[in-house]
Amino acid sequence: MAEQDTTRASQRVYTLNLGPQHPSTHGVLRVLLDLDGEYIVKADPVIGYGHRGHEKMGENRQYRQFLPNTSRMDYLSGMLFNHGFVLAVEKLAGIQVPERAKYIRVIASELNRISSHLLWFGTYLLDLGGFTPFLYAFDDREQILDILDSVSGSRLTYSYCRFGGVSRDIDSKFIDMTRAFLKRMEKRWADYDGLVTKNIIFIRRTRDVGVIDAELARRYGVTGPNLRACGVAFDVRRSEPYEVYDRFEFEVPTGSRGDALDRYSVRFMEMRQSCRIIAQALDHLPQGDFMAGKVPQKLAPPRGEVYSAFESARGLSAYYLVSDGGPGPYRCHIRVPSFGNLNVLNDVLPGTLVADAISILGSIDVVIPEIDR
Amino acid sequence: MKVKDIEGVMRSKFPDAPLHMDESGLTGALWSMAVPISGIRDAAGAFDAAGFFLESITALDFEDTFELVYHFNCYEPMSRVVVRVLCGHGQVPPSICDIYRGAVWLEREVHDFFGIEFSGNPDMRPLLLPEDADYHPLRKTFGKVGAYHKREVIYG
Amino acid sequence: MSYLLSSEWSRLILGLLVAVGFSQLNALFLVWLERKIAGHIQLRPGPMEVGPHGLLQTIADAVKLMGKELILPLKADRKLFFVAPVLVFTPVLVGFLVLPFAKNMIIHDLNVGVLLIFAFSTFTVPAILSGGWASNNKYALLGAVRSVGQNVAYEIPLLLAAMSIVLMANSLSFSEIVHAQRRLWFIFVQPVAGIIYLISATAETNRAPFDIPEAESELVAGFHTEYSGMGFGLFFLAEYTNMFIVCAVATSLFFGGWTGPFGISLGIPGIVWFLFKTYVLIFHLMWVRWTFPRVRFDQLMNFAWKVMIPISLANFVVTAIVVKFV
Repeated sequence: MAEQDTTRASQRVYTLNLGPQHPSTHGVLRVLLDLDGEYIVKADPVIGYGHRGHEKMGENRQYRQFLPNTSRMDYLSGMLFNHGFVLAVEKLAGIQVPERAKYIRVIASELNRISSHLLWFGTYLLDLGGFTPFLYAFDDREQILDILDSVSGSRLTYSYCRFGGVSRDIDSKFIDMTRAFLKRMEKRWADYDGLVTKNIIFIRRTRDVGVIDAELARRYGVTGPNLRACGVAFDVRRSEPYEVYDRFEFEVPTGSRGDALDRYSVRFMEMRQSCRIIAQALDHLPQGDFMAGKVPQKLAPPRGEVYSAFESARGLSAYYLVSDGGPGPYRCHIRVPSFGNLNVLNDVLPGTLVADAISILGSIDVVIPEIDR
Repeated sequence: MKVKDIEGVMRSKFPDAPLHMDESGLTGALWSMAVPISGIRDAAGAFDAAGFFLESITALDFEDTFELVYHFNCYEPMSRVVVRVLCGHGQVPPSICDIYRGAVWLEREVHDFFGIEFSGNPDMRPLLLPEDADYHPLRKTFGKVGAYHKREVIYG
Repeated sequence: MSYLLSSEWSRLILGLLVAVGFSQLNALFLVWLERKIAGHIQLRPGPMEVGPHGLLQTIADAVKLMGKELILPLKADRKLFFVAPVLVFTPVLVGFLVLPFAKNMIIHDLNVGVLLIFAFSTFTVPAILSGGWASNNKYALLGAVRSVGQNVAYEIPLLLAAMSIVLMANSLSFSEIVHAQRRLWFIFVQPVAGIIYLISATAETNRAPFDIPEAESELVAGFHTEYSGMGFGLFFLAEYTNMFIVCAVATSLFFGGWTGPFGISLGIPGIVWFLFKTYVLIFHLMWVRWTFPRVRFDQLMNFAWKVMIPISLANFVVTAIVVKFV
């Protein structure tokens, strides 16, 4: 009887190709799904459609020339990756950064984190069929983009953080815009809560969907909000404080069940904590230089290696630079969180419905170009 | 502290392997240990038992050897640890994918870029490169290369 | 001339022509309305370029659709593929014949009008299925299969709610049902049936939050993935015409058709009342679409079979008892 069942089952299983052109795979992702009716039996993500060879480019460029590349990997957290690279090189070359620059970089990074989460929120709801929150989220995100544009000249991919500080000082216009934004968001959280978080359809689509337990997360190296939703309070800003994060009071929100709803709630709370950090940074912003004094145009750091980790919007990211004393790195490896976050789907998707696959994929918040590099 | 415990475990497992404490914080790790190629599975097993997660696997291409660099971390503060494995050109290191599921993809990526085969990894298809790729781009013998050194040039 | 108008056949044919013309205009208007409403709900103005406030946008879109190439996918069933959109659209037009637009403006006052409308609206089910099947595309097939399941499941509470009204008015004829509401609209007497009808109507027309069959983000475009040009246009047209019919039926059954509230007409002609109420209900359908996310398919089916059908059945039985003994 069991043999008959398996034969019937294997004849029933068919392969469906999700992507690479699909409205809901975030970036160019292809997932080969083996389906039995509407249930997923096997899931195999296929990536590499956006591989541009950033790591090889890193080896062939001077440190300064690689700076624009850093934003283009995870383009939603462009400022965060830019910031992380600059931190890594400063560590390697022993460059001291003035206090004001550190605060400015933290403000810009946290603004970028909020804008990344807002975009994730909008597109996640879009995947679930709610078309309207997407535009509300983008309206808010537009404010952030305007703020960052006013000081760096770019809206999405930044080269604002430079070795030794930032490229331009912030002025009172920037501070006013940021404060206005923080005030505006205070009202917005309540709007989003009422429209989305408390909506019964949304809750039914996300509660107990795509549960990742902490052990599975550990085996795959999942980090960031996905890990925190499983109950593990691991945030690089707390465990390896860099820049001036140890001077700010903020919480690291966690969930308890590791389902899509928890991942959603963790990101929402993170946005609010980021607002808190920005407010504190603005309050305590010191006067001073925005750039270190004598930073050579062509850096030639001493031989050795540096591994500098930071918390990007998706989790623990790191730059691993090996220097041979030359003007550019000998090896430039970037550890990206979406790598593990997407990988975990190999074990999470089987057993779920196809309709849930989209919800789970959206709740993981992967950016494929980051994986492809 | 887990990272202190694992130091003791690793020292006892590999008494001859050099272990460098990193005071400067540059490597982002508390210490790094060079483990023989046959011992990486033991090491990974020890880290797994201690509750560490595999943060990244990458490789370095030197004239005289490859070097595999494994970064392990746990959820406590300042707990990163590096395990380095020297692997000659053409040598086949064992895979740790049955210990850490995430290693399947990480090893696939290293194979893509450097051509290092991992024995025991069930899936050695290209991850980032096209399916029919027969080149390994991050080798210093491929494409435009800035410098190609022996290992001692960088690490002394 | 009056002979022409009084003849049964010529009345029917004229009525059909009017119905076709009206449905086209209606669809044109509704597409524009939907985009405007979507826009304003989403803090943006919607189409503004083509014509004043984008009024001519739909015409531009229709011209574009008509000019597009009709792509037939490889190994698709040619006949079924092209018949499906026509089959989705045409039977719905029959519904226009029995709708009570005003006291003397029913094209053909059948004494089984309610039955006719629901019978013909079921045609969409095999039509969608054939469209999805004929496309030779797994996504389209999945969408079509889901659509069939959804439509069949939600037709039952739809019919039971309508039957409750029929019991109260003691007739299947639209004009008599409207006449029975001249003092008090049935929505006040049968609120449960009204709500059930509106929810089922949303599901029947494949509108969000029940738009799984055409879920853009999940199945690319569901059963009409492979359709381009006028084929897609016809599906689109059919959806908006269906919306109108369904809301018009709701107006007639629950909201008094062409009568004013509590019988006070305020001098406004019946047809204006009828159209006004219908379009308010259509606005409600659109409002709901742009507010809520999509319900997952199994939750949708559970909701139909485990919640809607028992409630509508109970309502029907209670109505029957009350009508019989009270």
